[in-house]
Amino acid sequence: MDKFKEIIRQYPFLGFIIAFIILMLVPSVFFTDLYQSHLASLICINIIVAAGLNIVKGFCGQVTVGHVGIYAVGSYTAGCMFLYLGSGLWLTLPAAILIAGLFGVAFAIPSFRLEGPYLALATLGGGEAIRLFIENGDFFMSTYGISNIPQPIIFGVPFDTPDKYYYIAMPVMLIAVYFSFSVLRSSVGRAFMAVREDPISAAASGINVKKHKMLAFVLSAMFAGGAGAVYAHLPPGYIHPNNYTVIEMVTFLAMVVFGGLGHIWGGIIGAIIITIVYDLTRPLYEYQLFIFGLTIVLTILFMPKGIGGFIDKYFIDRRFKTKTGAASK
Amino acid sequence: MKKINIIFSSLLLAVSLLVTSVAQAKDIKIGVSFRMLSDVGYKHGELIQDTVAEWNSSGGINGKKVDLILYNDECKSEKGVANATKLAYQDNVHVIIGSSCSSVTLPMVPVISKAKVPQIIPHSTSSKITLTGSEWIFRVPVSSRFYKIVQAKFTAENAGTKIAHIYVPDQASMDFSKSMIAYVKSEYGVDPVYEAQAGEKETDFRSYLLKAKATNPDALVCSGLVDETVRCLVQSYEVGIPKSVARVANSVASKVEVPTNAGKAAVGVSYAAAFAASDTRPIAKDFVKHIKKRYGVVPGHDFSQMEDLLTMLKPALEKAEKGFSGDLASDRKAVRDAIAGITNFTGLASGPISFCAAGTPECRDGNRTPVMIEYTKGGKNWKTKVAGTVTFNASAGL
Repeated sequence: MDKFKEIIRQYPFLGFIIAFIILMLVPSVFFTDLYQSHLASLICINIIVAAGLNIVKGFCGQVTVGHVGIYAVGSYTAGCMFLYLGSGLWLTLPAAILIAGLFGVAFAIPSFRLEGPYLALATLGGGEAIRLFIENGDFFMSTYGISNIPQPIIFGVPFDTPDKYYYIAMPVMLIAVYFSFSVLRSSVGRAFMAVREDPISAAASGINVKKHKMLAFVLSAMFAGGAGAVYAHLPPGYIHPNNYTVIEMVTFLAMVVFGGLGHIWGGIIGAIIITIVYDLTRPLYEYQLFIFGLTIVLTILFMPKGIGGFIDKYFIDRRFKTKTGAASK
Repeated sequence: MKKINIIFSSLLLAVSLLVTSVAQAKDIKIGVSFRMLSDVGYKHGELIQDTVAEWNSSGGINGKKVDLILYNDECKSEKGVANATKLAYQDNVHVIIGSSCSSVTLPMVPVISKAKVPQIIPHSTSSKITLTGSEWIFRVPVSSRFYKIVQAKFTAENAGTKIAHIYVPDQASMDFSKSMIAYVKSEYGVDPVYEAQAGEKETDFRSYLLKAKATNPDALVCSGLVDETVRCLVQSYEVGIPKSVARVANSVASKVEVPTNAGKAAVGVSYAAAFAASDTRPIAKDFVKHIKKRYGVVPGHDFSQMEDLLTMLKPALEKAEKGFSGDLASDRKAVRDAIAGITNFTGLASGPISFCAAGTPECRDGNRTPVMIEYTKGGKNWKTKVAGTVTFNASAGL
């Protein structure tokens, strides 16, 4: 077992290949209906956004409440490319990532001078401005939304049903998570954390704070843009400005906070749990928002570092107990 | 002992699963995806629950219990799609009722068409929905393609063709104004004297209204959701647009909040809807009395359309149930065919509702009779008068 762990540590890509194989088998083993596949695809999309948010908020410590706007940019890049150019996912996905990255630059600029609630307000305004711009623009089909955005066809097989589309959303999610881990483990990731802990000390240590803040916003935006494009093509392929409001932003933030800021696994678990809790409370529509809000409040009160912090504490305690146990022997 | 426990538990599980599956096979399931955000939205949900409870207490559908599964879609397409997928594939419903918002119903259509579940629409009016050509969709309300004609003709012939439009970024509101503009242009060759799209949730329309006033219009169209419509009407008097300028609103004006909150500003406002609370037919009078007593509101056409939908659905389910084979796919098809067989249903709607087999707008826009209504009194004890009704041929406005 230890040898296996060592191999995975040396070759992390292997871990993702194993995860890919397991996740490929999940539907045939666990899913009993197509709705579960739809939910799984939504979870994958939410994980991509949460992983991206973790980069800017968890690793780099920058407050952003406008990410849903960039998510909308990704979706509408895909939607408009289909509408005006007839493009499919393989073209719209990279384009959405690139354009969202450019919007990330715009969102990063206020972070040079603002922080905390002021930065939150600036990004919130940015996100809402994007949505309102889309909603009022005939080019974006305004409040009619863009419909019939096609699903990809691979070797003649259309991935146009929830069960098939899962095999598109899941690999994209795995690539995003792998990339997120790579960033965390790189010198850039360490620089992000230095900026988060103390920007002045980081600058004194030779880290270009502005550059790294910019990079964090851009990388994070690229995740959101990619997720937006995958969402736009999700069957039945319909996007509408109503799906990119502040409520959706709060849901994304809840995933990251619930999972634990700065913990990639926490963000993933947060995205899974929040999406499932939201779904399970669907029949209790009168109390849904109350249950949802209560979950967030209780998490912040009793698990301020989220699930990630809880897991960290468990491992630290276990390590401490093992060491003290060995010492006492 | 442990072995006995395991055997006993397994048996219990098997029996309960069997009982559940037998119960599921026996029940008829109706799924609902609906905007249940506002007070009135909840009341629509209550109306469905109460009606189905009444069905069950009086023997259900041919003796079978009806299971109702109700989800809120918050008027968001993402939630509507998720609800439709869940209802179709997980809850295995026989028929879906929904949604209130056109922007939600539209993306639900490909989902239910692929899953082959009949869907019957209580409120959404956008003509785009039935233009999808799905064989699984049925619309009880009047389509916007009929509303645009009747409202445009009524306004042009009674007020004039110098029309100012103010609309909000909402699909139904924009659809109403834009299709009315297009119709007036095609029929009378006249462009609107003023056209403005207000911002989302904007309630101060005075700058738009002042610009509209400067064009000296014959009619002013305020096309928005409830709050926007109310504010636009009230502020039109605040900025000094004279009473002689006809006020026009979209079918949202049939909601009770509009005359109640607009007060005197509601007087003279004309709108096209599928039902008028001032309808003097005994069936309509009884309905208004019943809704007032039970839910504490004077019903607009949202209530009447839901009531009509449920009233016509029950016999359709009874007819379909006789041919149920236990196979969900063929049972759903039987329900679809039974609904498609509804002809000349006379309920609360201003005209008969008929469907037919083809998945075309001609067959699936069941109600072709909009009624022109005008408020004669605003405030809590508001009153309306029917200015006229017209029944269109099936292909009008296409």
